[in-house]
Amino acid sequence: MRFHCIHKVLLCSITLGISLLSLPPLSFSDDTLVVYSGRAERLIKPVLDAFQAESGITIQMLTADTTALVNRLGMEGERSPADVFISNDAGTLERARELHLLQAVDIPGIEGAIPQPFRAPDNSWIGLSGRIWVVVYNTTLVKPTEITSILELGQPKWKGKVAIPSASSVYLQTGVSVIREIQGDTVTKKFLQGLKDNAGTSVYGKNRQIVAAVARGEVAVGLVNHYYINRHLDEHADAPVAQLLPDQGENGMGIVLNAAGIGITAHATHLAQAKALVQFLISTKGQQMFASGNKEYPLNASVDAAPELVPLKSFQVANVPLARLAELRDPTMTVIEHVGLR
Amino acid sequence: MTNEPTHDKPIVLELKKITCSYDSGKPAVHEISFTANKGDIICLLGPSGCGKTTTLRAIAGFESVIEGTVLLDGNPVADETLHVPPEERRVGMVFQDYALFPHLCVNDNVSFGLCHLSSDDRRHRVEEMLALTGLSELGQRYPHELSGGQQQRVALARALAPQPVLLLLDEPFSNLDPDMTYKMRGELHQLLKNTQTTAILVTHDHEEAFTMADKVAVLHQGRLEQFASPETIYHLPASRFVAEFVGQADFIPGEIQNQVVTTEIGKLPIPKDYQGHHKVLVMIRPDDIELCINATQGAKIETRQFRGSENLYGIRLPSGHLIHSSAPSTQCHKLNTPVEVKIIATHTVLFEQT
Amino acid sequence: MASANPSLTLTRLRIHAPSPLIIVAFILTGLITLPLLYVIFSALTADGAVWQRLWSTRIPELLFNTFSLAVSVAVIDLILGVSMAWIITRYRVVSSTLWDWLIILPLAIPSYVLAYTYTYLLQRNGPLEQAWQIVAGSDAQIFSPFSFAGATLVMSLNTFPFVYLLARSAFKNFNISFEEAARATGASRLSTFFRVSLPMIRPSLIAGLFLAILYVASDFGAVSMLRFQTFTYAIYQQMTGRFDNTAAACLSMVLVFFAFVFLLGERWFRQRSRFYQTTGRYRKPIPQACSPIQNLCFTGYLGMVIVAAFGLPVYLLIQWTLDALAAGDLSPGLIGYVGNSLFLAGITATLAIVIGIPLAYLACRKHTWGSLLCIQGAYAGYVLPGPVAALAVLVLITQLAPALYGTVIVLLIAYLVHFLPVALQGMESTLQQLSPNLEEAAKSLGARAFQTFSQVTLPLVRGGFMSAWILVFIQCLKELPATLLLRPVGFDTLAIRIWLEASEELYQLAAPPALLIVAMTTPVVLLLMKKGSQPVSRNG
Repeated sequence: MRFHCIHKVLLCSITLGISLLSLPPLSFSDDTLVVYSGRAERLIKPVLDAFQAESGITIQMLTADTTALVNRLGMEGERSPADVFISNDAGTLERARELHLLQAVDIPGIEGAIPQPFRAPDNSWIGLSGRIWVVVYNTTLVKPTEITSILELGQPKWKGKVAIPSASSVYLQTGVSVIREIQGDTVTKKFLQGLKDNAGTSVYGKNRQIVAAVARGEVAVGLVNHYYINRHLDEHADAPVAQLLPDQGENGMGIVLNAAGIGITAHATHLAQAKALVQFLISTKGQQMFASGNKEYPLNASVDAAPELVPLKSFQVANVPLARLAELRDPTMTVIEHVGLR
Repeated sequence: MTNEPTHDKPIVLELKKITCSYDSGKPAVHEISFTANKGDIICLLGPSGCGKTTTLRAIAGFESVIEGTVLLDGNPVADETLHVPPEERRVGMVFQDYALFPHLCVNDNVSFGLCHLSSDDRRHRVEEMLALTGLSELGQRYPHELSGGQQQRVALARALAPQPVLLLLDEPFSNLDPDMTYKMRGELHQLLKNTQTTAILVTHDHEEAFTMADKVAVLHQGRLEQFASPETIYHLPASRFVAEFVGQADFIPGEIQNQVVTTEIGKLPIPKDYQGHHKVLVMIRPDDIELCINATQGAKIETRQFRGSENLYGIRLPSGHLIHSSAPSTQCHKLNTPVEVKIIATHTVLFEQT
Repeated sequence: MASANPSLTLTRLRIHAPSPLIIVAFILTGLITLPLLYVIFSALTADGAVWQRLWSTRIPELLFNTFSLAVSVAVIDLILGVSMAWIITRYRVVSSTLWDWLIILPLAIPSYVLAYTYTYLLQRNGPLEQAWQIVAGSDAQIFSPFSFAGATLVMSLNTFPFVYLLARSAFKNFNISFEEAARATGASRLSTFFRVSLPMIRPSLIAGLFLAILYVASDFGAVSMLRFQTFTYAIYQQMTGRFDNTAAACLSMVLVFFAFVFLLGERWFRQRSRFYQTTGRYRKPIPQACSPIQNLCFTGYLGMVIVAAFGLPVYLLIQWTLDALAAGDLSPGLIGYVGNSLFLAGITATLAIVIGIPLAYLACRKHTWGSLLCIQGAYAGYVLPGPVAALAVLVLITQLAPALYGTVIVLLIAYLVHFLPVALQGMESTLQQLSPNLEEAAKSLGARAFQTFSQVTLPLVRGGFMSAWILVFIQCLKELPATLLLRPVGFDTLAIRIWLEASEELYQLAAPPALLIVAMTTPVVLLLMKKGSQPVSRNG
C-alpha cells in the first residue's frame, strides 16, 4: 500500500514541478506597488496599510537588511520589481543614489515640507524621520553630570558598566562614521577599543535590550537611538532610565543624527503610485504615523514631534552631512572589524 | 573400541544434566551430561538446530543454564542460580565466522586477551602464538587482508593466547573451501594435541568429528543421543538416528531365533545383552558387505558412485530392499550385474522394528 | 546508438566516448558547481587589500570559532548520541519504543527556532537562571545564550540525533559475535564496549559526526540568532553590512576550502572503512532487562535531554502561540506561508531525487577520477553557505537567463544547489548497499540499462530514495538564508516569518509559524525514523 502512496507523491510532485516551470514570472497587477523595506515590518506595515486604505493602491512589501536590499537592487538592475526603497539609514539611501539605483523625482511641495539637509539635492531620496544616538543611563546609578561626551565611555572608569549594540547595528556604524569624520581614526580606534573592553559581554542585538539592561541596573549606561528610551518609558513609566545628550557645548562635536527615508527606484514601473506614497509619507498624516508614532522626529517641520521629545532645534548636532555617511560606511566597517567589535 | 586411559587425566569440564532454553520456553538443550578430560578433543555432532551450539555457548557463558551444573576445573560456573560471566571463565572460543576484530591488526587481535600481562610478556606471547600457528610474518596485517585459512589461524591464536583451560570451537571449518578444510583439520588436530589443549568442537559433519575427536557427543533435538569414541559411534550406534547420521547405513528386517538373527542376506549372531523384540532391523554399513558376481542370487547392482579409492554400489535385493556396499575401485562392476552379497561384520547392531 | 548492429557499435563507442551517464553527470555537476565557481572567481579576483584586511581582522577568529564550535558540538553529540543509542539498543528500558521515537524529535526543530527559544530561556534573570539560582544561590549566573557555551548548547541539542540514528542502527546491526569473542578472551563488559563495540561502529560514528559538523559549519539560523561569529554568520554580515560582496566571497572561499578538505577526508575514511564489513553468520544483540534503578537513571537521562532539545522549546512555542491567539496577533497570511513552504519543499525534494539519480549511480558504480570529481562537485553545495549560494545563483541567473528572474525558479535552483548533497548522501548509501551482482544478473538476462534500472535497481532502492526525499523536504521547510535573499516579493515562507519576528524578539509573533514548521516536520521525521528502522536490503 505504501508503495502506491510513494508513487503518487512522487508523481504529484513531478507534475507540480513541470507546471511550475511553465509558469510565467511572478508579476503583479498594474497598480501593485512593490516596496523594498529595510525598516522593521512592525513599524512600517501600519503606515503602508493606512496608505493602501486611503489610496486604494495595493502594496507588496519585501523586508530585509537595508544594505542587502541595496545589493539586491543593484543586481536586479532594470528587472527589479521594486518601485520604492525605504531605509532606516540616510547613508544607505545616498549610496543607492550614487549607484544610480534611485531616480530623481519631482514631488510637488517637497521643498516646503522636508528641509534640504534631509533629502538628496535631486530629491532621489527624501528623509522622513530623524533619530539621534544618545546615552541612556540608570538614574539611580549615574548622575547626568558624569558624562559629557560619548568618547568618555571608552575610559576605564566605565569598565563593566556599558551596554553597546552589536557591530551589525547600523546605528553603531553611523555613530562610528561620524566620530571618525570629526575625531579621526586614531581617536576612534582608541574609543572603540575602550568601549569593547568596558562592555565585555554586554553586547546586544537590539537597542530595546540595552535600555532594559540599563533599567534593571545590570549596566549603568548604554548607547541607543533615542526613541527606545521613550518606548521603554511608555511601557514602564517608573523605570529608572533617562536620556543624556552628550557632546554639547562649545567644543562638543554634537549629537549623531541620522534619518530614515524613502527613494523611488531607477527602474520603477509604478511611478505615479510611488510618488503618491512619497507624498503620503511627507504629509502631516503620514509623518505622524511614520515618525511621531515611533517617537522619532518628523522631518516635515510643520509636523509636531511627540511632546516628550527634546525639541530637535534645542541641541547641537554633529556637523556631518547625511550624504557623507555613504562614503564613510566601508572604511568604518573596516575600523570596527579591526578593533574586533562583535 | 579404543578404551584410552582417559580416566587418569584430570577432568576439565563436566556437564551435569544441563538444560538451556530460549525465550520461547521450549528447551533448546535438555539434560545433557558429559565430561572432558585434560587434553581431550570432544566433538558435539548433530544436524542444525540440535542444540550443539547452544551447549557450546552455555559452556562459554553466553547462554544461561536453567537446570543442571557446568563445572570447569572442578568449580561450578553455571547452575540454576549461578552464572559466572564469560570473561571470568577462562574459556577460549573460536567463532564460526572467527569474529576477528576488523579494526585491529593480527598482533592486536591475538594480544586482545592479554591485558593483564606486561607489554614485554604480551609481545612474547603473541610471537609464540603466531609461531605456533605459522603466522609469524603476518602480524601487521588486518583481517581483511588474510585468506580464510589464515583468518582461522588468527582466531585460534587469539583464543589460545590467554591460555584458556578449555577451547571451544564453533563449526571452525564451515567458512573454508573443502580442500582447505581438509588441510586445516589436520593442522588443528596436531596443534591441539601438541599443546595438550582440551577442546570442544561443534560440527555437523561426521567425517570431521571422526578425524578430530577423541570422543563424540551426538545430539538430536536437544538431547544427547550418544557420547562415545568415534569408532563406537560408527560401529555401535546407540540409536537409529545416530546410525544414519554418522554414515551410510541400511536397515534390513530380520528375525531372532536361537540367539541368531536371520535376514535375507544371511544369519548373524546377536549381541550378548540383546533382550528386545524378536522382530528386528539389522544395521548394515557398506563396508560390512562384500560382493561377488553370482547370477543365481537374484540381487542386482542398481547404482554406482565412484568415490576415488572405492566404489559405492547400491544393490537391489530380491525382496526389494536396497543395501549399499563399498568395494575397492580397482574392481568395477557394471550396472545390472547380478551379484551375491556376504556379510562380513564383526558385530551386529539391531534395532527394534517399529 | 540505435544502429543496425547495436552491440558492436556500443562496444566501440564505449572505448572512444564516455558513457551517456558520465556526460549527464558532468553537465549536472557543472550546473550545480557554477555558483561555487563564481564564488571562487570573485574571491580570486578580489583586491589584495580585501584579503589582507580579512586576514588581519576576521579570518583567524572565524576559523577558531567555527572549528571550536564544530569540535565541541561533535564531542557532545558523540557522548549524547552514543550513550542514548547504547541504552536503547542494549537495555529494555521502560517504554523503550516510545523513547526511540522521542529521541529523534529534535530534528524537527529548526536550529533558529531552538536558538530563539534559548535566547529567552537563558536570558539574564530568565527562567533557567532563576531555576539555577534556587540551586546555587541568588547571585548565581548562568551563561549567556550569546556565547560559545550558548551556541554549543543549542547546536548540540539540535544535531545529536544525527549521531544517535547512525549509532543506533550500527549497534542494532552489530554482530554480537565480536563482543562475545572479546568477552571470551576475558574482557569485561565495559572494556568490550570501549575496545570493540565503539571502534567497530567507527564508520557510522564518523558519518554521524560528519553530518553534524557540516550542519554546524553551514548553519546560519542559530549562529546568527545567537550572534556567534562563525563563517556563515560573518559572511552574511559582510553581505548585509557592505556594499560589495567580495569580502563575503573571500570568506566563503576559505570555508569552502576547509569543507572540501573535510569532505575528501571523510570519503577517504569511508573508502577505508568499507573493509570493515564482516562476513559470516550474523548474531543479533539481545537487549537485556534492567533493574529499577537502571530504569530510573536511564529514563531520567533520556527525559532530560529530550525535554531540553524538544519538550521545553515546543512548550514555549505553544504557550506563545496561545498568547498570540489570545491577543489576536495571529497573522492572517499564515495559510499562504504554509502553502509557499510546502510548495517549495515538495518541488525541491523531487527535483533533487531526479537529478541525484545519475550522480549517485555514478558515485557507487564507476570508481574513476571523473566520477569522484562529479560527486565531490555536487557535494560542494552543502558547504557553500546558504547566503552565498543564493547570491551566486542570483547573479548567474541574471546574467545567463534573466527571464527567470523574479520567479520562484531562482529560489528553487538555490535550494537544489544547497540540498542536492543531502539527497545524494542518502541515495548513494542506499545504492551502495545494493549488490552490483543484481544489476549484472539483470543484464546477463538481456535487460537494457534503463530496464535494469527501472525493474531491478529502483524497486530495491525505493525506500532509501524516499528517505532522501523526506530529508530534503525537511531541510527545505527550514531553509532560511537563501530564502531571505532570493524570495520573490510577496513570497514569504514560514521560516522567513519566524526570522523576521524573532529577530525583533517578538516571541509571541514568531511562535505560530515556528510551531507550524515543527508540526509539519514532526510526522515527516517520525516517518523517516520508521523507514530507517527497517532493513534497507537483504543482500549477503
